Amino acid sequence: MNAMELIALTPVLILTLGATTLLMVGAWHKQVIPLVTGGIIVALAAAGAALLIQPPVAEIAGMFGSGPYARFFTLFWALSAALVLALSIRYIHEQTIPAGEYTSLVLFAATGMALLSSATSLVGIFLGLEAFTLSFYILIAINRHCDFSAEAGLKYLVMGAVATGFMAFGIGLLYACSGSFHLPEALHGLQTGGALRPWGLLGWGMLLVAIGFKISLVPFHLWTPDVYQGAPTPVVSFLATGSKGAVAAALIGLFASGPSGWGDMTSLLWILAVLTMLVGALCALMQTHIKRLLAYSSVVHMGTLLVGLLCQSRDGLTAGVFYVVVYCIASLGSFALIASLADHGDEPGALADWRGLGYRYPVRGGVLTVLLLSLAGMPPTAGFMAKFAIFHAAIQADLLSLALLGILASLISFAFYLKVILTLFTPNEAVAERHSGTGLEHTVLAICVTGVLLFGVVPGLLFDLIGRILP
Amino acid sequence: MTLTALFSQMPWLTLLLALPLVGAILCMLADPEERTSHGLALVTTGLVFAIAVGLFVVYSNGGGGWLLQEDAAWITRYGIRYSLGMDGISLVMVLLTSFLLVIAALAAWPVRRYAPQFLGLLLLLETGLLGIFLAVDLVLFYLFWEIMLIPLFIMIGLWGGEQRRQAAIKFFLYALAGSLAMLIALISLYLLHGDQTGNYTFLLTELVNTELSLTQELWLFAGFMLAFAIKTPLVPFHTWLPDAHAESPESGVVDLTGLLIKTGIFGMIRIAFPLFPAATHQVLPLLGVLALVSLFHAAWGAYRQQDIKRLFAYSSISHVGLILLGLAAWQVTALEGSILLMLTNAVATGALFLLVAMIRQRTGTCQLGELSGLWGQAPNLSALFLLFALSSLGLPGLANFAGEILVLIGTFQTHPVWASLAMVAVVFAAAYILRLVQKVIWGPDCGARLLHDLTPREWLILAPLAILVIWLGLYPAPFLTPLHEPVQLLLGGLP
Repeated sequence: MNAMELIALTPVLILTLGATTLLMVGAWHKQVIPLVTGGIIVALAAAGAALLIQPPVAEIAGMFGSGPYARFFTLFWALSAALVLALSIRYIHEQTIPAGEYTSLVLFAATGMALLSSATSLVGIFLGLEAFTLSFYILIAINRHCDFSAEAGLKYLVMGAVATGFMAFGIGLLYACSGSFHLPEALHGLQTGGALRPWGLLGWGMLLVAIGFKISLVPFHLWTPDVYQGAPTPVVSFLATGSKGAVAAALIGLFASGPSGWGDMTSLLWILAVLTMLVGALCALMQTHIKRLLAYSSVVHMGTLLVGLLCQSRDGLTAGVFYVVVYCIASLGSFALIASLADHGDEPGALADWRGLGYRYPVRGGVLTVLLLSLAGMPPTAGFMAKFAIFHAAIQADLLSLALLGILASLISFAFYLKVILTLFTPNEAVAERHSGTGLEHTVLAICVTGVLLFGVVPGLLFDLIGRILP
Repeated sequence: MTLTALFSQMPWLTLLLALPLVGAILCMLADPEERTSHGLALVTTGLVFAIAVGLFVVYSNGGGGWLLQEDAAWITRYGIRYSLGMDGISLVMVLLTSFLLVIAALAAWPVRRYAPQFLGLLLLLETGLLGIFLAVDLVLFYLFWEIMLIPLFIMIGLWGGEQRRQAAIKFFLYALAGSLAMLIALISLYLLHGDQTGNYTFLLTELVNTELSLTQELWLFAGFMLAFAIKTPLVPFHTWLPDAHAESPESGVVDLTGLLIKTGIFGMIRIAFPLFPAATHQVLPLLGVLALVSLFHAAWGAYRQQDIKRLFAYSSISHVGLILLGLAAWQVTALEGSILLMLTNAVATGALFLLVAMIRQRTGTCQLGELSGLWGQAPNLSALFLLFALSSLGLPGLANFAGEILVLIGTFQTHPVWASLAMVAVVFAAAYILRLVQKVIWGPDCGARLLHDLTPREWLILAPLAILVIWLGLYPAPFLTPLHEPVQLLLGGLP
């Protein structure tokens, strides 16, 4: 690794070094606010570095890209980490969680996401994925006073370990038959055919299983609702957006860079997409806990994203990136809203707790309505443009049946989002007092809702950007 | 001179859409304890209505093509434009909608619970409705089509009757199923057009020129028509309406669903028919038959209802049957009659809806079995009820008659059998309306409690509607003139 590569790696270096420093400082100084503020500054500095530093090399150590696509997602995950940290301050304070550890773990997770989104080799994918998964093992179970949190942590650990196993074995098989970790070559090995081709395919299949676990594609989704319900809400807001979004971004990068040798995989992906959308939507219908509901909603969204990938066209991938970004903003906002209502760990979970909250806290009620409508895909929010782009690409790629099934799933999805909105505004005299939210939390919400509306009304901003960065 | 220049340069259409939107935001922020939001809503709807009247006066002579147009690039990636246009048909629809929303804002005066939210949603609904009548870009149209659903959903779901939640969700999912089918169809059409001409656009005026095979046309037509038929609603897609109607907000806001169903018919006239002429040609006979089925089925349904709101819901479906019959006849007189009937039906049913709310406020019920002999205690209210009911029945000299007779005459020229059958249905309408009037107004005086007659505010709401009903019945020509050339244009465009 030479100096040039180090310059290209600056944003990630800022994140890791900052995280390490905060971890050390946190051992002696326990004050929450300086530590978390430090974390936010580190994340913003990394975002700034990703934005401003022109990388002198195209690839780092043959594992990570440093092109505009990688920079965009590095920036995006760093910003998300900053928002998540802003959201966590009160939680850390109330639950007396060691602030240094928490902050540094969030930053490490963001590092992993940034690396994963820019991975150009199988090793890069593995490293990035493991980096943030390890952080999440701890983060999910970080609240030791809460049994649910521990249960969620254990579930995530077991599922994560299985996924890691699949991934390592898959990568091994791919390496064995292509002789390269570097993605284009590894994909090429798949295409040429020959004696080892079946093993290559098996390798890709195993890799897909691991990815399926991470972004909870049906039938690998079962951990999602339990973990979302049990884990601390600020952590979930990062888990739902960053960890899924980074894997999705890597997947999009994979489709964008590799030759279109996915012929044998498409039928498998097709089935996964349909199952994920429909099963996710139907399961969500039956949920009565807001976090479980949002968990299934994220399942449906990842299914819809697969539709964009299956188009195997530039339009489809552009739509995919747009979809990921918009989903992350809306999802982060929704969990931020739940976190802002929580008071000493007591947060509205069951739908019954939400009855009448929209009148009690009208601004946040309105914000949640907008965010949910975006998740549902209602104009004029960004969610609509995202769905529009995906379905547009699907029809263009002659995937009409997939588009129709997607439409069916989004119809079912509407039913459960509407249920929440109605509950929120159902008159209820006995509505419980909730936390009024700190200024920082309101800022996070304002950022998310602005993003959702801005990209809904002027989607051209984001589309143009994506058009420029997509490899 | 300068005034004329100023007038022609004002972005009137954008103003029509933006005013209610701004009003909606201001309303939502208003103090819930005061009546600020009521005043704001009244002023906003009043301004919009004033603009609509102004435009109507200026452009009442009609003319083919667009009377007013606005166009700007919006989402260049997909060739989506912010393109608005107003022809004679939209002019009349805009006038009607803005008028009924003033009435709605007046009628919402007694709403105290969460009034800012309610009135804000009402204004948002106005933006959606007007947008549908003005959009020329199909994505823009779709946007307004969807935006309109949210306020209605929330209004029914929160301020509605006892079964409001189910009714609201049923309404929304029905409507959404249609619109999503339309979304797929419009993207497909866009891609087909783009592949043919290299010009990827959602502009209605461009998409009309797409060359399609009959099979393609039929599929795409089906996608669009599903959305419109559900919203209209045409039997067999009508089952959401009685529930939504019966659960509409109690406070007596104008028949919102009545306004909504006009958008479905407008969609057919503005989008589905011109885009797919060959498919339209094939499907018109089927549409005619379904219209007749609607007409009879709903009339029979109305006859059996005990709940007055449900009765009006069915009577709306029945009227829509007649309107669609006029479209299916595909003839100038019938089409003009259909559009006129859309107006008159919205006015008459809207007024009846308000009256039912007033009756319910006084008696606490709107079940037929529990009401009788209102005339004795509230003669003015009963007289107006009678007036609007008779108009709804199609009494000559009142609003609905003008539209009905035009539809029947026109239909008779192309399809005498349909017209004869439709005549019979008019008798059915007489049956359920007279039964209603007889039970509610006459009969033994049921009221142990003393009912007060119309208050000044209620007079203020009902009087304009009553005047309009008589005006439309006696002299509908001013409203027909702007329709003439767009209708000719529509008919001329097809084989």
